[in-house]
Amino acid sequence: MSQASGSGTPMSDRKHVLSADNVSKKFDTAEGPVVAVDNISFDVRPGEFLSVIGPSGCGKSTLFNIIGGLTPDHDGTVTVGNEVVRGPHPSIGMVFQEESTFPWRTVIDNVCFPLEIAHVPKAERLDKARHFINLVGLNGFENRHPSELSGGMRQRVAIARTLVSQPKILLMDEPFAALDEQTRLLLGDKVLQIQQELKQTTLLITHNITEAVQLSDRILVMTYRPGKLKRMVDIDLPRPRTSDVVSSPAFGAYVARIWGDLREEASRGMQDSERAR
Amino acid sequence: MASADGMKGRARAAGAGIGVMQVRIVLLVSLLAAWEIMARSGLLYRDVVPPLETIGWALVVLLSSQAFYWNLGVTIAEVLAALAIGGSVGFMTGVLLGGSRFFGRALEPYIYYLGPTPKIIFFPIMIMWFGVGPGSKIAMGAVSCFFPIALSAAASMRQIDTVLIRVGRSFRANGWQMAMKIYLPAMRPSVMNGIRLGLGIAIIGTLLAETKLSNRGIGYLIMQAYSIFDMPRMYALLITLFAFAIGANAIVGRFGGHTTGK
Repeated sequence: MSQASGSGTPMSDRKHVLSADNVSKKFDTAEGPVVAVDNISFDVRPGEFLSVIGPSGCGKSTLFNIIGGLTPDHDGTVTVGNEVVRGPHPSIGMVFQEESTFPWRTVIDNVCFPLEIAHVPKAERLDKARHFINLVGLNGFENRHPSELSGGMRQRVAIARTLVSQPKILLMDEPFAALDEQTRLLLGDKVLQIQQELKQTTLLITHNITEAVQLSDRILVMTYRPGKLKRMVDIDLPRPRTSDVVSSPAFGAYVARIWGDLREEASRGMQDSERAR
Repeated sequence: MASADGMKGRARAAGAGIGVMQVRIVLLVSLLAAWEIMARSGLLYRDVVPPLETIGWALVVLLSSQAFYWNLGVTIAEVLAALAIGGSVGFMTGVLLGGSRFFGRALEPYIYYLGPTPKIIFFPIMIMWFGVGPGSKIAMGAVSCFFPIALSAAASMRQIDTVLIRVGRSFRANGWQMAMKIYLPAMRPSVMNGIRLGLGIAIIGTLLAETKLSNRGIGYLIMQAYSIFDMPRMYALLITLFAFAIGANAIVGRFGGHTTGK
């Protein structure tokens, strides 16, 4: 379970940092069993930004929880380096969709949290926390409480808090879902810049096509119920990128193509939810 | 923008604060005036409604006697012991009931039904078990404050935002770290509210017991003054009791309840 076994080979020598092999998850509901994730396999390469996109209800969040080690009871395996994920893994840092900052802690204390858990000495803790607070652009807000910040700022606190633990893979579940479109584009820029700086391997779960194309190197499109892998799309947009990429013809073509894949799935999802009403 | 809003809010609150304060003062002054008119009019027995001046002198005499402070000390010690015992047992019970759906469903009805029962009916039993002295008073106070504290701890345990627990787990916090760094701070505001409620009820339970059967404490002094029909002294004691309750509440209020929420 320790990090020791991962220290043998340098990261760049390995073909992938994380792989999911035949991952499936079934839920028992009142209307019978529902297959949320059906036999999904994929690899995440070092330094890449991979997005998983799918309509609401396709099992994206289930996949997020399985990879994060918070849903132990599933079929198939998730491996990080050479280790099978059986619970929360130190190499995987999670950022949640919901409001997840601790309201009773200041920004800097929020960011220090994972380091406290790992018993990092206080001076080092504060140094590291300040570094990542700067990185997400929240310098000057160290001593504020989350209630004094905007939703976008709170989500950046959550991202800094996860980055401070220096995970090999940053795993995010629709971190910007609650934000408005403009804030989302600007935060996308921030994420691109951070990823550029840290060469951070990132796995993003999202339902937002623009966001996925803006940020990703590859996009995994999922089907609606059961959640299967529909297509893997390579995004060959130049890096370093900013939100300006949104206006390029290539961007539009990718969006159109992914929407082409998603349209059928999304409309099946919509029919389902209308029938349930 | 946010700070400007905050300033406006604060200014409005301060403005409202003056208005609220004025209403309070007007009410207090008119109550005192009504009292004084009643006392001077002779409509009621003078001894039952003594003039404010007489009560004032009785208060001065009371506050300069050593026996008063000794008895006040006894009552405070009883209330604190009651709160410590009833509060810690109540908190642990609440955590158990809130943390386990099974225990919550199985046992919480008892607490709901016993909660509103006047605890004074247990006083004879408490006297038999713990004697006429402070023991039975502490027991009464503890039994009284157990209920609100247990219920508020159970509720706060259930209200914890589950995403915060998932955050803790994702960073691989152990059980102790989860308790100290997530559960306790998340529960603090509503548990503090429960303790404030419990303190009030512990004071009621303890004093009620003191006035029934005792040989020391403020409740005892009040009954003593009443039995010799020393009304000014009795009112003076009641005033000190108000001051004690207000002070106790303020102290608990300082220790939390108003943490910055979301």
